[in-house]
Amino acid sequence: MRGWDGLVSSALLGTERRPARFDDLPPAIQEQLGDGNLLDAAALATLYKRAGRTPLEGLTPLPSTHGEDQPLPRPAAIRRLAAMLTGFQTTALGEWLRAADAKGWGVPPEHLPALADYARGRAEYRPLVVKAAGRRASWLADLNPDWRFLHEAVVEGNDHWTHGNSTQRRSWLRARRQADPAAALEALREVWPTEPAPARLDFLGLLTENLSAADEEFLEQALDDRSKEVRRAAAGLLARSPGSQYGERMAQRVRSHLIVSQGVIAVDLPTEVTPAMERDGIDPQPQDGIGKRAWWFRQLVAAAPLSTFELDDLQLDVEGCSPEVLQVAWSQAAVREGSAEWARALLLANARTGGRVAELLRILPPDEWVPAVELLRTRVDIADLVGGLPVPWPPGLATSILDQLAKAGTARTAARLASIAARAVPAEVLDHPITREPTGEEDTWRRRLVETLNFRRELYEELS
Amino acid sequence: MAGWDVEQVLAMAPDAASAKAAQGLARPQRWSEIGSSERALWGLCQGSGKKPYQTVVDRSGPAFRCSCPSRKFPCKHALALMLLAAVGQVPERAEAEWASSWLEDRASRAEKSAEKAERKPGEVADPLAAQQRVTRRADRVSAGMAELQSWLDDQVRRGLGGFEQRGYGELSRLAARMVDAQAPGVAGAVRRAAAVVGRGHGWPGELLEELSLIHLIVSAHARLGEIPPRLADTVQSRIGWTVETARVLAEGEKVEDDWLVLGRVIEPDDHLTVRRLWLRGSSTGRLALILNFAAGGRQLDPLPARPGELVPAVLSYYPGALPMRALLTQTAHRLPAPRPGGLNAKQALASYVESLAADPWNERWPLVLADVRPARNGDQWAFVDSAGDALEVLPGVDLWQLLAVSAGDPITVAGEWNRAGFKPMTCWHGDRPVVLS
Repeated sequence: MRGWDGLVSSALLGTERRPARFDDLPPAIQEQLGDGNLLDAAALATLYKRAGRTPLEGLTPLPSTHGEDQPLPRPAAIRRLAAMLTGFQTTALGEWLRAADAKGWGVPPEHLPALADYARGRAEYRPLVVKAAGRRASWLADLNPDWRFLHEAVVEGNDHWTHGNSTQRRSWLRARRQADPAAALEALREVWPTEPAPARLDFLGLLTENLSAADEEFLEQALDDRSKEVRRAAAGLLARSPGSQYGERMAQRVRSHLIVSQGVIAVDLPTEVTPAMERDGIDPQPQDGIGKRAWWFRQLVAAAPLSTFELDDLQLDVEGCSPEVLQVAWSQAAVREGSAEWARALLLANARTGGRVAELLRILPPDEWVPAVELLRTRVDIADLVGGLPVPWPPGLATSILDQLAKAGTARTAARLASIAARAVPAEVLDHPITREPTGEEDTWRRRLVETLNFRRELYEELS
Repeated sequence: MAGWDVEQVLAMAPDAASAKAAQGLARPQRWSEIGSSERALWGLCQGSGKKPYQTVVDRSGPAFRCSCPSRKFPCKHALALMLLAAVGQVPERAEAEWASSWLEDRASRAEKSAEKAERKPGEVADPLAAQQRVTRRADRVSAGMAELQSWLDDQVRRGLGGFEQRGYGELSRLAARMVDAQAPGVAGAVRRAAAVVGRGHGWPGELLEELSLIHLIVSAHARLGEIPPRLADTVQSRIGWTVETARVLAEGEKVEDDWLVLGRVIEPDDHLTVRRLWLRGSSTGRLALILNFAAGGRQLDPLPARPGELVPAVLSYYPGALPMRALLTQTAHRLPAPRPGGLNAKQALASYVESLAADPWNERWPLVLADVRPARNGDQWAFVDSAGDALEVLPGVDLWQLLAVSAGDPITVAGEWNRAGFKPMTCWHGDRPVVLS
């Protein structure tokens, strides 16, 4: 505005030194001012300026995103989602998202930023949030670099593999691996020499999906990789490949160290780790609490195909090393191969599993879980046992665990099992009688269990 | 029945000027609807405004109430009424409705404070002491305003040039003296001015803006009797005088409507949490502001309705040239409402300018922007209307929720506008209101 700068410099220097001049001010101000002083003029000019404010021009609005939105669930369901995002029963967020998606409900868009922030540090939530964000996923990912993972929604075309960020490339490779395992391997082969070690390790992990003999050659090469982590990962993958040369090498090594005859397994522990063994991922440095040679042997057995042995070998006496060495190695192999037969046998034989009871239980078909838990409960903490099972549990197991908790009174020892069960019980068992029993203030774990079960039951009701 | 003689009445005057003015007003022809009852005196006295002042004197106490803007207590009108009674010129008659409603209100408050006094022995309500406090305060405010004016004049004469070094401390001390002078509103304005010093290249200009508006308050205060009464109310409230809730409920302008809750802003602070709730009448189009406060750590009162809902209610507006602040008396349950209509950028600015014309100190203005799309504005954001005109979003506002709702499509947003930008409070996802946190 004309004249304003003159007022400011008079005010800065002082009217004693620089008397204010008003003749540059707009006539409207001069008329109103009369014989007013500098501050009067400044007040008039201030309001003149404020009143004369005009809109900004020439800004380009953000592009809009295309597509349809899913209908929204009831307000009560939306309020529950908002409460979870402010920290109340937050662990049920994933359940809400899955249940809403299953019923065809969308997520109110105003909650997407909080959901994206939540999923940023929790990879398991990312696919759920990408799904919930729908057409808004890429739009938001473009706006906020923190939410780049939302791009995962878009995996079509090769652009993401050649030009995308690490998240996009990962998504592309994962999707490709599911659709066409060989083509995914080929794409990986092409870029392999120029990728940095962390990327090689990351992409290698994605080959777990649809692993087959076709990958063997590539993985064999990776056993000579510059990076130790990559070499280990390649060995792990080869050990998972049925009928691989790697497996055959391990089986031969194992056979050269043990003889089964007349009901006895005689073990002759290895005396050295050859370069070939080391190449196949055998770690020469023993772990705590186990002898060096036993450690080498345990690794060989654990990496060898279970078909190297008979199930009946479990019953045999062991000479030359502790039977535990073999049992722990078999447990590891059973978990790797997902062999229900071996898992069942190891659990029934009460074998030493090196802390893998829960993993072995997990391999069993779900309808065997209840009897297995009954069998094992005297030997293993039941919370350790069921804590590793995938959730939600089958209804039978859930009901059986809640029945036990209902009988547990106020025993503090049940607290951990209660907190696991609170999350693991499937939707159809949320109405278990335990939720209708009175709980007192002092029954901390029982009250929390019932609160969580009720919270989840209401969650499903609202989303139905 | 308590009666006073002329000497006693004149002794109640807060100062000689009031006593003199009261004697001038103690003529029956200046008054209408004048009357007396066992408990009170009342009358209407024509002042400078359109509406005559309503004056009531409660004989018990005595206590006074007058709709004039004067903060002297008792005011010249109440004194004049008592002088007229002392010389037997106030006829006995049935109480005017407006007089009795105040008396009843006061009686019920007295009952409540008596209950309180029972709970807290030793604290006895003393209306005379209260009046003296008010008088003392008026004097202190006047002295404070005079000090402020001479300080302002000094600064301008000697120059703001050295302010960058000394300005903050000096303004902080000045603000503290204004608190001492019981002018907290002006103290706040001085603190805002202090915050400008040295910030960015343009600070001298901004400081001059702030100081000139403080100067405007001080000069208006010196002419309280000459300016329109409603503007005088505005000036008083800017200085920091508060109007009693009971008085607003009894005398404030009443507007009944279904009020759309446009949104709310909560400003937490260590000492005092402030909540501003902005309303718009669905048939009158009137705007209103409901202020709530909660002292450190306490909960705010529950909202009468959520943003985006209608609350059928009667509002009682505080006096002022731009009646915005109001008290709400809910008359029915809140109702859901469709997406409201709104303005484009030019219309929005025009409405803000109109508010400035009524109240030059107005800092915040509720706006509903319709069909605007988010745009980047340098490091900040802005909303662009369908004509391409844009308003900037207040720097530092977290806009992610709104952006997610919009997805680039035109949306309706309600927010608070001030000179620095627009602060969104509520936006609409289709017809569903979304409260932005």
